[in-house]
Amino acid sequence: MSMEEVEGSHGSMFEGGVEVRVLVVDDSPVDRRVVEGLLKRSGAMFQVIAVDSGKRAMEVLGLTEGKEAEQPTVDDPKIDIILTDYCMPEMTGYDLLKAVKEQSCQKPIPVIIMSSENEPQRISRCRAIGAEDYLLKPLKTNDVLRLRDYARPAALSPKTGTKRKIAIEMMAENSGSERRPCLAGLAAA
Amino acid sequence: MESSDLQRRYIDFTSTLFREGFLDSQYTQLQQLQDESNPEFVTEVVTLFFQDSEKLQDDLTRTLDQEVVDFKKVAAHVHQLQGSSARFSTPPMRSLCIGAQRVKNVCMAFRICCEEMNREGCLGCLQQVRQEYFLVESKLETVFRLEQQIVAAGGSIPLMW
Repeated sequence: MSMEEVEGSHGSMFEGGVEVRVLVVDDSPVDRRVVEGLLKRSGAMFQVIAVDSGKRAMEVLGLTEGKEAEQPTVDDPKIDIILTDYCMPEMTGYDLLKAVKEQSCQKPIPVIIMSSENEPQRISRCRAIGAEDYLLKPLKTNDVLRLRDYARPAALSPKTGTKRKIAIEMMAENSGSERRPCLAGLAAA
Repeated sequence: MESSDLQRRYIDFTSTLFREGFLDSQYTQLQQLQDESNPEFVTEVVTLFFQDSEKLQDDLTRTLDQEVVDFKKVAAHVHQLQGSSARFSTPPMRSLCIGAQRVKNVCMAFRICCEEMNREGCLGCLQQVRQEYFLVESKLETVFRLEQQIVAAGGSIPLMW
């Protein structure tokens, strides 16, 4: 079992927490602006970077087509989630998804596809190569709130070590918010 | 004028627009996204919408103007126009977007003309598209004006859905 940093029992996960950095990729300026509005309004602390093409997205991600990232950007990726339209000229959302998942680093960035079309074949194609989700446009607030769940774990845990460490198995033994006075030192090796 | 009278006028006017396919529920969604930190959100998005559509219409005009018309390209532009103005949910939900049930209908006819490689037909459709956008734009201007009047009179803008 791994040790996890845990905030106080009622502390919000996002207190002093880190914003989730979303790369929005869509060739429609209207859709970009609406998605940006949704993300900012949802209260879920997103930082939005919006680009108008797959090619620009690749630049932001530090990828060039046909070449993998030399230094896997796991240590400090600039982006936590990619939210991309499917239907775009030249490089589609599917192409972008594929390029991201083909990276050699251990944990490629989660990719969520957006589309106005509810096409089962298209959806399975995307999921088959690793899309985390497929959202129908226009997006709703609930869709956007789910994005936090897909974000890389690193984006969600604060980096500072001022919080007490509590072994997860101790937490699991206790139901509700009551904590037994067992201490982290008793965590099984 | 009293804000309640203005609000009544607003509700009547926008209800008609909903009925006639000029507005739909996405307009309400836009309204809900507007707040103190995003005070001009609705007008921003609507402006983007019209700028984008105008650019697409210009692209269409240019493409149809060529000696030899590339109908695939025309169809791609129409698809973009249709996509930017009309996104469809699965039935029984309504189509969702700013004012474009009407534009959607014209776009469908437009795409048939592309498949038939019918240039005259395409030009006719493009003319219709221009007219529809002109209509939507003027209706929305009235909506915005009413909204401003309501706010100036101290009232709040009714949500329509």
